[in-house]
Amino acid sequence: MSNKTNLLTGLGRSLLAMTLIVGSAATWAAEELVIYSGRKDKFVEPVVEKFTEQTGIKVILHSGESTALLNKMQIEGPRTQADLYLSNDAGNLQKGTEMGLFMRLPGSLVNEVPANLRAADNTWIGLSARARVLVVSKNAKDLDWVKSIFDLADPRLKDRLAITHSANESYIAGVTVYMEAVGDAKTKTWLEGMKVNVDGEVFNKHSKIVAAVANGQKDIGLVNHYYIYRHLAKEPDAPIEIRLPDQDGMGVAWNVAGVAVSKHSKKKNSAQKFVEFVVSAEGQKIFAEANNEYPVVLGIAAAPEVPAAGSYKIADVPMVKLGERRDETIDLIESVGMP
Amino acid sequence: MTRTKAGSLGSIAGIVVLTATIPLLFVVYSSLQLSASKWAGLWSSRLPELMGNTLSLALVVVVLCLILAVPSAWLTARRDFAGRKVAIWLLVLPLTIPTYVFAHIYTVLLEPTGWLGELWQLVAGDGALINLYGLGGAAVMLSLATFSYVFLLAYTSLVDSRRSLEEAARIHGASKWQVFLRVTLPLIRPALAAGLIVVVLHTLSDFGAVSMLRYQTFTLSIYLQMSGRFDYQAAAGLSLILVSMSLVFLVLERFFRRQQRYFAGAQTRFISRKRASIQETLVIWAWLGLVSLFAFVIPVSWMLAWSYEALVQDVIDAKFWGYALNTGLVSFTAATVAVVVALPLGLYHTRVRTWLSNLYIQLSSIGFVLPGPVVALGVITFVIAVLPNFYGGFAALIMALVVRFLPLAIQSQEAALQQLTPSVEQAGRIHGAGPLENLWRVILPMIRNGMVTAWVLVFIDVLKELPATLMLRPVGFDTLPIRIWIEASEEMLELAAPAALLLVVGTLPALWIMMRSHAVRR
Repeated sequence: MSNKTNLLTGLGRSLLAMTLIVGSAATWAAEELVIYSGRKDKFVEPVVEKFTEQTGIKVILHSGESTALLNKMQIEGPRTQADLYLSNDAGNLQKGTEMGLFMRLPGSLVNEVPANLRAADNTWIGLSARARVLVVSKNAKDLDWVKSIFDLADPRLKDRLAITHSANESYIAGVTVYMEAVGDAKTKTWLEGMKVNVDGEVFNKHSKIVAAVANGQKDIGLVNHYYIYRHLAKEPDAPIEIRLPDQDGMGVAWNVAGVAVSKHSKKKNSAQKFVEFVVSAEGQKIFAEANNEYPVVLGIAAAPEVPAAGSYKIADVPMVKLGERRDETIDLIESVGMP
Repeated sequence: MTRTKAGSLGSIAGIVVLTATIPLLFVVYSSLQLSASKWAGLWSSRLPELMGNTLSLALVVVVLCLILAVPSAWLTARRDFAGRKVAIWLLVLPLTIPTYVFAHIYTVLLEPTGWLGELWQLVAGDGALINLYGLGGAAVMLSLATFSYVFLLAYTSLVDSRRSLEEAARIHGASKWQVFLRVTLPLIRPALAAGLIVVVLHTLSDFGAVSMLRYQTFTLSIYLQMSGRFDYQAAAGLSLILVSMSLVFLVLERFFRRQQRYFAGAQTRFISRKRASIQETLVIWAWLGLVSLFAFVIPVSWMLAWSYEALVQDVIDAKFWGYALNTGLVSFTAATVAVVVALPLGLYHTRVRTWLSNLYIQLSSIGFVLPGPVVALGVITFVIAVLPNFYGGFAALIMALVVRFLPLAIQSQEAALQQLTPSVEQAGRIHGAGPLENLWRVILPMIRNGMVTAWVLVFIDVLKELPATLMLRPVGFDTLPIRIWIEASEEMLELAAPAALLLVVGTLPALWIMMRSHAVRR
């Protein structure tokens, strides 16, 4: 009897010892900046490589979904290994601020970024902006009347409209902007109209919406602007074009990708160096261009194929609203029962 | 003596069970904080729909799995035909493909410009599309990804069953059909139940396929509560209901497996396979070919095509092999730990068979019925509170994975332990072997096959695991499923495909070991 107990406890002890060694080794090895990144590696790597090249500071990208990573940071609390948090959605960044996860960035660091594209208390800043636009098929000649995103609820677009499912963060952010700009009631009516038009058929990716419009499956779609250029880069002859909605009304909804420094980071100096680099002219250009987005710092141009910032009307909604009103937005979307 | 031995075994089993229930404790604790009004809100707004969706998905998947697995198992176990062993492999190999990869591949293939989409338009006319979103699509994807569990267990059981019973029935005038329904089917009933419960639990806790196909099940809804609204309490409340539902299934399975210990005399012969005629062989292959075409050949062809693309574009770099190495390391460690810690639990239950040991077995199944993200959350919370120094390391990840897949190890070991007739063990003891020696020289060799199966099944599941790994992996530690998830979500097919292909290839040695250990040998 005792033999067996010894065998098993012995086994248990050696397992414990093994895991202890492995566990602590991983902790010691982390002498670099860690970024919890909700943005695709491919679009972050260029700026990270340049940063490392210039400063010698190594960066580990820990990628995942923005929301999941924010959850992780919250649960980890002071134990988090994250020095920076990067997200494609201002809503998530503002949520992190509300959770008290981020440190206040010094004014000198953030002044270059327009005030409506960062947190009121400077706990996060926008880095690149994306516009919520329409992708229209060049073969659909009868769609000239669509000038506003609210036209997407028109019954004439039944079965011709492509939108994403309603858990998509860009979609949610867009709805928040419309709620702010035109009020909840009108936004709700609009969602109900779109729900009828898509009849349960939604897309799980923006890229698929653009592809569906390009191959004639659908005639019009609601997407972030860069998906159109990504598709055109692969298939330059695709019969699609961008349409900037609501130019006579509220303007185009914007959302920003941005960055924040973890309150619990033990390398706040290096982390701030990273922020400094991504708001510098060079960093801005690399960061935004990797994904055909708009640099947030004024005076730095976006990629030439993209409609220039300033050349069209943008909805006047501070980005912090995307976080503050996110739960309400989800409630509204759910009350309509959008797929 | 026996009493104390069972006692020490029992306490080790107790520790294992306690660890396995950490996520459950977390769920119970969090849902206790949910106010009555929020419960009422959840109840009226979401629950009926979620319950309906989840149960109908489980039901359809079970039916589809039976259709896919039982005829295939019977044909391969009872008929001898050209290419039989190839067929067995083809029917087991779908295990190596994660559900989200199935979902991803078939949505891409069924698009108007995809291989299958174009084919379908030729058949059904221009503009015709098969829509994979919703119940039908999710059920088919999950069935293709999981029916192999049922096949494997049904096949093994059919091969292992002895000739005497069926022959006796025939002699007493039963028709072939009657024999199948009244002798063969009851004999493989425990195996079917064991296989189906694995399938049902996979279905209930599946995250990848349902989230890609937008089918609202409990697991998906729990995930959305957590990630979209940061509402852990609502997520925990939903999880608690999901767990209760899963426990019902587990109890049902135990019910179907009861009184099934059946000890064959050593002299009875195994069933010999009937040689199939050429026509029969053609019919058999038509069926098996159809099943494996959709479950394996098409997905793998897609992976090969896009991997070739990746090769041409030269995107497979050292990093990629790093991910592969990480995946192997995690899977190997987790499978080994799971098998080792499952053993005392299985042994204890086989020995004493009390309500307590039964409870242990049920409780240890918790990890499998809770959605992966919830298991991860429970483990993170526990580790940070109790063992903060482990946090962020490899150990916390392994712990979550072991907790998650422990039931798989227990199920397969237990099945083997039950074949261990009391007489064999007693014989060992009579001949003077101590308990330890008996374990080493009698029990372990006899349940070796079960242990190997357990190890391989856990290995394969960890290899494919996504949500817990996503949350708990050490910083900068990416595995192949994570890369598939990241790349596929951005349509970088040429990057996702080689990773998926490598998962299939990486599983081959493990599967080979398992198949050699029992299934194909006969």
